[in-house]
Amino acid sequence: MKPINTLLVIGLISLLILCISPYLGLIIKDPAIEYHILTQLRLPRVLFAFIAGAGLALCGMVFQAMFHNPLATPFTLGVASGASLGAAIYVYLGFSFTLLGLDGGTFAAFLGALIAISFVYTISRYQNGFSPETLLLTGVAISFFFSSLILFTQYLSNLTDSFQILRWLMGSLTTVGYRDIMQLLPFVTLCSAAILWLTRELNLLMAGDDIALSRGVSVQKIRYSLFFVTSLCVGAIVALCGPIGFIGMMVPHICRLIIGNDHRYLAPASLLVGGSFLIVCDTISRLIIAPAEIPVGVITTLLGGPFFLWLLIKSKSKEA
Amino acid sequence: MTHLLNVTDLSVNIADKTLLSNISFQLTQGDYLCILGPNGAGKSTLLKTLMGIVETSSGKIKLNQHSLSQLSQKDLARQVSYVPQAHGHQLNFTVIDFIKMARYAYHSAFSDWSLNDQHALDHSISITDTEGFLYRQMSTLSGGETQRVMIAAALCQQSPLLLLDEPTSFLDPRHQVEVHQLIQELNQQHGISIIEVSHDLNHAAQHSKHILALKQGEVLWYGESSELLQDSHLHALYDQEFVFTTHPQTGAVVALPSERQAGEQQ
Repeated sequence: MKPINTLLVIGLISLLILCISPYLGLIIKDPAIEYHILTQLRLPRVLFAFIAGAGLALCGMVFQAMFHNPLATPFTLGVASGASLGAAIYVYLGFSFTLLGLDGGTFAAFLGALIAISFVYTISRYQNGFSPETLLLTGVAISFFFSSLILFTQYLSNLTDSFQILRWLMGSLTTVGYRDIMQLLPFVTLCSAAILWLTRELNLLMAGDDIALSRGVSVQKIRYSLFFVTSLCVGAIVALCGPIGFIGMMVPHICRLIIGNDHRYLAPASLLVGGSFLIVCDTISRLIIAPAEIPVGVITTLLGGPFFLWLLIKSKSKEA
Repeated sequence: MTHLLNVTDLSVNIADKTLLSNISFQLTQGDYLCILGPNGAGKSTLLKTLMGIVETSSGKIKLNQHSLSQLSQKDLARQVSYVPQAHGHQLNFTVIDFIKMARYAYHSAFSDWSLNDQHALDHSISITDTEGFLYRQMSTLSGGETQRVMIAAALCQQSPLLLLDEPTSFLDPRHQVEVHQLIQELNQQHGISIIEVSHDLNHAAQHSKHILALKQGEVLWYGESSELLQDSHLHALYDQEFVFTTHPQTGAVVALPSERQAGEQQ
């Protein structure tokens, strides 16, 4: 199938998921209450899941292309753990504020993400320029360092705060309203627009820096701007729904297998599949042991791991 | 005669290490320059500096009277194209997509594939004889096929200067001859100026026009190719004795590394 047709099919399936999922698990028979639940609870939650999933998948795709490494995602590079630390400290300190319409938690997570990025940046630039390998290793080290700082913060907190931090670290979409959507939308829109604008550059970056430069791509400039917009996006998502793992690593991979490596098609595909995938996971998380809910991060990882392994084995056997 | 490329006192240092120092040479339009030298002499670094991949520390590179540092990367890509050394990096593209991507420098974010692009594509495919495997994945190509695709992509950039980094290493003799014939054809029939890094000194002496011999980041010798095959030049360059004979077919002088007798000191 031509990539454009595949993309069309993916779009239709996404639309279907977007329309059906709010209705799943509606058990109340009163139409007025049903209407309220649909419009005030379900719809914003589904929309929010779509935006967050799309953002995470796109950022993962960009990192994989930039570092020619399937393991490079905002999570492995320490951006997500930086954001988590920021949010954990915010909960621990126990004061709340808003800045430019942004919730204090978002702002703290965002700051954490930026600090993590600057760390990774400074260290990897100090060493031999900007090699992907150094960057990845720095990211992993920083990720571990921040994770232990989060544990430390939790240890210092009282029981309620500690539980709140833990719950948030699992990744969840439970307390979502339209306000959260308005907080997230600008970041994800900005980031997606930048990435969709730079798809040809991403293709060339995937061929290697030397080839990209010789074709006329200003590699350093493109890489800096992509790094900046993706950290903005991941910071905002992590602040609002916790570090939901695996989507950024898994969805772009699945899309590569379905639609190929051309980022002009891969980027919109990752966006759509990432969004719908998080909706599906969230629907499962609230249905599987209803009326209780499992944090969606647990579901994405539980679903994602085996599926990813299956795809990997399948593509290997096809090659052989 | 105006020079296509003019390099003056070029030095490159990376992290306190001097990779190139005081390199100067000129290239006229239509020239074919071979860069020779032992491993680690800075040959690849010089090519990468000309392509804007490695930054210059001091000195000047002028391309068509423009300073290299003032050209944008896209401008540079329209003037110079580059075939890197064969590397293990897996390329997940079909051949045609990979060649098409070389038109990047002629496009903005939303411009369409134009008639010019199509001409450049058709032309580069037909010269390099790559029609047969346009829709195969790059990762399934043999060494010789890959090298022809890399050259096709570089040609698709339509730049007057082509840089080649050891284009025939890792190829078997038949494909070495094939790629070398292609390079000569590009130079002689299509007027493309060529700078090639090579270890094949007999090929360089016979087919290129000028030779730049590098040793430890400095120019050891620069001149006409026909003057290369002398023991004094080669010995100084490679720290190795050579013997000379003539090619039974063409009668051209051929240099061979001399065999060291057992127990003989260097």
